[in-house]
Amino acid sequence: MVEEQDKLLPIANVGKIMKQILPPRAKISKEAKQTMQECATEFISFVTGEASDKCHKENRKTVNGDDICWALSTLGFDNYTEAIVRYLHKYREDERERAKNQSKVTATSSNEDKAKESPSHKSREQTTSVQQIDETSSAPSELRALKKGKSSLTNPP
Amino acid sequence: MRQAGTYSGLLSKMSGRAGTHSLPLARIKKIMKKSGDDVKMISGEAPIVFSKACELFIEELTKRSWTMTMQGKRRTLLKDDVASAVIATDIFDFLLTLVSES
Repeated sequence: MVEEQDKLLPIANVGKIMKQILPPRAKISKEAKQTMQECATEFISFVTGEASDKCHKENRKTVNGDDICWALSTLGFDNYTEAIVRYLHKYREDERERAKNQSKVTATSSNEDKAKESPSHKSREQTTSVQQIDETSSAPSELRALKKGKSSLTNPP
Repeated sequence: MRQAGTYSGLLSKMSGRAGTHSLPLARIKKIMKKSGDDVKMISGEAPIVFSKACELFIEELTKRSWTMTMQGKRRTLLKDDVASAVIATDIFDFLLTLVSES
């Protein structure tokens, strides 16, 4: 079986989650990590398929977070739902805070003309921040700050 | 001037804070899209829900696998322990084919 690594969850991330839940001196074989990597990937496909079927039956085009939660519950993973709902609430709160702070920044540095542009500017900013989350390497700006010898993170210019 | 070791150590501590997901969202989205032809549009929150769900899934399967490891009086979690845990758990039936292929 040929494994195309970009179709699976990264083994380093999977291994880290495994390590965190096991006792300190436990060891994990490479094959076990690979199996877990495949199982977790299959888990996503399996749950997404169920959620997607539901959307299809209800004539909806977009699979959303609630559909995933519903699918998890239907497939027997309802004990995950509570933790996920809490995580989602915290994420939404964090996003609201981030959006508030960004609109403050654009408001203080803008005149009327710029204010007209700011809605699209804000959405671009939000897209950028989502992309940063996507890439896991929000590292570049932190690296730059560290290279300059600053001990605390400052906002990028 | 390369100080990769120092920086990467610091960075890994930073990524451990709340607000950063432990699994890459872009990869999750890719896997979701590949799961079926009729999966065309995915909301922004769906991969985020999965990043948590996958973490919980990996934790549960790992814990159950470790039980098998301990039964074998070993301290290294092996592939067979994962397979045994899958066989022993009803909700993991969807993985039976995957763990029996080798």
